[in-house]
Amino acid sequence: MPETRMLFRHIDDPELRTLEGYKRRGGYAALEEVMRLREPEELLSELEQCGLRGRGGAGFSMGKKAGFLPRGEMQKYLCCNADESEPGTFKDRELMWKNPHQLIEGIAIAGIAADTTKAFIFIRGEYAEVGDVLDEAVAEAYEAGLLGEGILGSKETVDLVVHRGAGAYICGEETALLDSLEGKRGNPRLKPPFPAIQGLYGGPTLINNVETLMNVPHVVNNGADWFKSFGTEQSTGTKVVSVSGCVKRPGNYEVELGIPSRELIYDLAGGPIQGEVKAWYPGGSSAPVLGPEELDLPYTFEDMADAGSMLGSGAIIVADESVSIPHMALRTARFYHHESCGKCTPCREGTNWTVKMLERVVRGEATPMDLDIIASVQENIIGHCLCVLGDAMAMPVASMVKRWRGEFEETIAKAREAAPAPLDTEPAIATPIGVGA
Amino acid sequence: MSRKRKPQITITVDGVEIGCEEGVMLHDAAKDGDVEIPVFCYEPKLGDPVGACRMCLVEIEGIPKLQTSCSTPVRDGMVVYTQNDRVKEAQNAVVEFLLVNHPLDCPVCDKGGECPLQDISMGWGEGKSRVTDPKRHFQKPIPLSPLIKIDRERCILCYRCVRFSQEVAEDEQLQLLERGPKTFVGTYNDRPYVAPFHGNIIELCPVGALTSQAYRFRARPWDIEDAGSVCTLCPSQCNVKFTVRDEGVVRVLGRDNEEVDDGWLCDKGRFGYQMFSSGDRPTSPQIREGGALREASWDEALEHAARGLTEAHGKVAAIVGGGASNEEAYLLQRIVRGPLASTDVTGGAHAALPAAARRALADPSLAVSTSQIDDANAILVVGTDPMHEMPILELRIRKAVRRRGADLLVATERPTALDGGSAVGTSGCLEAKRYAPGAAADFLEELVGEVREGESEFAKALTGADDAVVVWGESVTAGPDGERAAAALLALAAELDLAGQESGGLYEVPADANGRGIREAGASQNTGPGLTDASAGRSAAEIRDALESGELEALILWDVDPVRDFDEPEAWSRAIGASNFTLSASMFGNASGQNADVHLPAETHAEKEGTVTHPDGRLQRVRPSIPHPGNAGPLWQALTGLSAKLGDETGAGTAQEVFELLEQDSPLYSGMTYDTIGGTGQRWQESGGAIEGAIEGGAPEGGPSPAAPEPAAGALRLGTYHDLWADYVSERNPALEFLSPDQTVELSEATAKSLGVGNGTEVIVTGDNDRSLRAHVAVRHRIPDDVCFLIEGTRENAANLLSGASTVTIAEAPPEPEEEQTFGTSEREKVEW
Repeated sequence: MPETRMLFRHIDDPELRTLEGYKRRGGYAALEEVMRLREPEELLSELEQCGLRGRGGAGFSMGKKAGFLPRGEMQKYLCCNADESEPGTFKDRELMWKNPHQLIEGIAIAGIAADTTKAFIFIRGEYAEVGDVLDEAVAEAYEAGLLGEGILGSKETVDLVVHRGAGAYICGEETALLDSLEGKRGNPRLKPPFPAIQGLYGGPTLINNVETLMNVPHVVNNGADWFKSFGTEQSTGTKVVSVSGCVKRPGNYEVELGIPSRELIYDLAGGPIQGEVKAWYPGGSSAPVLGPEELDLPYTFEDMADAGSMLGSGAIIVADESVSIPHMALRTARFYHHESCGKCTPCREGTNWTVKMLERVVRGEATPMDLDIIASVQENIIGHCLCVLGDAMAMPVASMVKRWRGEFEETIAKAREAAPAPLDTEPAIATPIGVGA
Repeated sequence: MSRKRKPQITITVDGVEIGCEEGVMLHDAAKDGDVEIPVFCYEPKLGDPVGACRMCLVEIEGIPKLQTSCSTPVRDGMVVYTQNDRVKEAQNAVVEFLLVNHPLDCPVCDKGGECPLQDISMGWGEGKSRVTDPKRHFQKPIPLSPLIKIDRERCILCYRCVRFSQEVAEDEQLQLLERGPKTFVGTYNDRPYVAPFHGNIIELCPVGALTSQAYRFRARPWDIEDAGSVCTLCPSQCNVKFTVRDEGVVRVLGRDNEEVDDGWLCDKGRFGYQMFSSGDRPTSPQIREGGALREASWDEALEHAARGLTEAHGKVAAIVGGGASNEEAYLLQRIVRGPLASTDVTGGAHAALPAAARRALADPSLAVSTSQIDDANAILVVGTDPMHEMPILELRIRKAVRRRGADLLVATERPTALDGGSAVGTSGCLEAKRYAPGAAADFLEELVGEVREGESEFAKALTGADDAVVVWGESVTAGPDGERAAAALLALAAELDLAGQESGGLYEVPADANGRGIREAGASQNTGPGLTDASAGRSAAEIRDALESGELEALILWDVDPVRDFDEPEAWSRAIGASNFTLSASMFGNASGQNADVHLPAETHAEKEGTVTHPDGRLQRVRPSIPHPGNAGPLWQALTGLSAKLGDETGAGTAQEVFELLEQDSPLYSGMTYDTIGGTGQRWQESGGAIEGAIEGGAPEGGPSPAAPEPAAGALRLGTYHDLWADYVSERNPALEFLSPDQTVELSEATAKSLGVGNGTEVIVTGDNDRSLRAHVAVRHRIPDDVCFLIEGTRENAANLLSGASTVTIAEAPPEPEEEQTFGTSEREKVEW
């Protein structure tokens, strides 16, 4: 099945990046229509009806979220979460890099709908060049009266600031993003209150992922019914999927939600490099890992959830037969151990302890009993943390220990035979090939 | 307390119904119903919950995930499980996680035995460990400050100390550094954490990570006893718990009293206990014989004192210091006004306000309790820097501003910590105004005018508030314009209708620790017990002059050191020298008491029994926690003994009975007893106390005094201020000694530049009356250009040496002949540390 390009339409056209090029390809028509014809209430109900779900990971209905913001005279904010840091996820980078104006248009429309006159794009610091592209595009949009006070001569105002993060994964968590944006240490806040009620600087705040907001102009242009004609009942529209790992053609592919996962991996991304697919993360490295058995499931929010995993940010990481699952588990755990903010106990200590135990596994210094402890520690983390970062490690690690327990036991045995290491030295651990960065 | 109560609701915790107020946190509601839910990070004193430690997870029906009870407000009908298998598993898990990196060195840990982590591990943990991996390591213990050691291995990262620093004290010095499991508590660039409230983090720490340098390894919890009392080192009168071991105080902890201190202590109160056991303290009465003091029995000393005072034939004066209890002040004024037949009894350095004005300011309808400041919409701080004069009030004001969004207005001579810029996310200080030294009355009169016209933003913030609190320092009414200032304060109160406001009013910060109590007990030149009229006596300055001229012949110095603390120290030395007979009582030897004929050893607040009166009118009991050293004894008893020897048998055999005498004489304290005052105090305004006597202040005669002349070219106006650490407490407690300041003269950047001096330059400050002192320059960017400030009460070169000067000139000091060349420490370094 070919791609279904909505956001990716004209994506490789170099002119798309400029305001003029974007306009020539139908850009900002939606914003103009909103100015002429639509009331904010109508926009909100359209966004809710179209079934657009958040593309950042949680998959919550975008329209509903926008509807949670209280009405009335108060400073409200919109934050575009462009802190795309989930391992295996690189769709927002390409979207912003090649099509920045569509994001700006989406922000302007969402801003008008939710009455958020101040908007921010929180972009991860590592995307320095993409940030420059956005800066340029925002300046162009201001110049053309598409942002700022009195958009297109109307009474509407949406101010937009591009803010560069300092490179912490946790700042992609929406409340940590807000703290970081306010100039504080990027640590998650306690919820409730949810950002929609009390967010940035204490004001109601709508936080959406880049891809979510870029869908907005399409909904406005073509209507909710048209949008719903793509995808399944619960997963409408298209999705830009980042496929990486052991595949021949890694990259971003925009597909209609609901196509079989196998097609994404085998047809579009070219299939595994060595042998068959051994394991795959369906939605970024925090999604529980699935096996070949689940390859034929439709790629939707609901099917991935039913399979015990999640669609997450729509990033498929493929492990082929060359990959050692215990090493992949360790690599995953180390990432979250490194990125844990340290605020809440289960995540801080749980990631730390898990890494130490998995290191012993691959060094051959563990016993099968340690696997039980690893599994139990993951259970103790899940659902007990302040934010979902702890779960993001515990879920994939737990899934791997459960499904590939035999391989973990073999790894321990083999490592012990190969190198009966003295306890006080730490043998170097080879980074497995093909596991997403 | 005055906030409206929310409706009562019922929740079910572990099958038991608990009634509670709607919206309180589940943890607190459960606690009221005798269900303990373990917590580490939750501490309501620190503000909003953060839900970081995850220890308090509970199951709530209808919510799939376990919830932190510290951050979940209760709703009617909520059904909660705190002990089912699911919750137990989660609690076990969190304890296990916390112990992954905790060293478990309890046998050698100072916290062992009084450690929440120990208690919770025992109560809610599995009791065994599955951890076999190495724990994290830090260098330990290392100084976090000169008073606190930090052991980062023991730290469970509960956030409490950091939140205290950032959200309560707002000194913003403590931070979490690094991230994830590598996180540790520290300061920027490892600088020492020096801040006046930082000792509180020791008490907040739920493990042995933060320990008091002075208490480390001094005792184990089973060696010690707690004794509750009140700290009388400043007007805050915080409630404290003395940790007593072997009849000595080894530690001071807070004793939570929301109405007084919110459970916080300043470092002066927390570490100022080492002096109790100082070897320098006189521990016996002494009498002068043949030019030298010798130890004597109490009877002999009192006999001697009675004789000496009687021989003055009414030409006797008494000055009562700020550390005296109400009982002592009452007995002293009774002795002076009774058997000694004098009118000269006074407390404090400055002349008293007219009795009617004093009563008007004490009017209960204008009074606010300390906790009502929490509810104020606007707070005006005028003529006081709470940080230095009443430290805990500073935290109270910050709390009102940060958590309740009160508008803060500051008007002072010298920039204060309260208006030192606002932290991100708080409203901070709305506006700060500076007036020239001594011009408080002018400022207040102008402000009354502005409030009438309602034009300035400053005035609008006050008039727009439903509840406005005016916090004013006693120094406002101390100078020659004191009466005008008092009248203006009353006019301001009338304009703002403070009397009609629920949580609005006037709040005085007295100059002395028990300033209010001493005044209300009658030790005042023009009022007797309960602010009743008394025949007018002399002020401190008049007493000084009368002693010099021979009009007065005998002097009682009760726990007061005029040579160090009052204006005109040289004149005071002469005056005390001229006195035929001096009775003094003090904790340590001091300059004023050098020539005393009878010296009595004064008690510390750990030994004293009696009452003190908080600035908001709350009477509190100071209770003896340790025995008197040596032959020292209760001072109230010394005074009843002296009274008897002078022919006035009081009949009081206990401190309580002395208070009963005061109660009978004082309409303010009517109906109060030691029992009603109890452990947390009682405000006389709330217990039937009433003011007797005229309260019309009336406009003072004379109108505004001529404006101070512009300083001559090159001269600066002189302002002085009280520094928290410039007194005997920091000098007598080794732990605090590093805080004792040398004299510094604060200059603006422009002034320093024009004088060609910089931070640390040693200068001679010469007054327009030709008196001078040495000081080091401190450049402060918020000091006005035409003013400089000196510290009162420093060990040497105290500002009172210049008394009488209104302007000064500053010149770089000629280098002193060096006795010995020292290398490596420049003056600059000395000053900065």
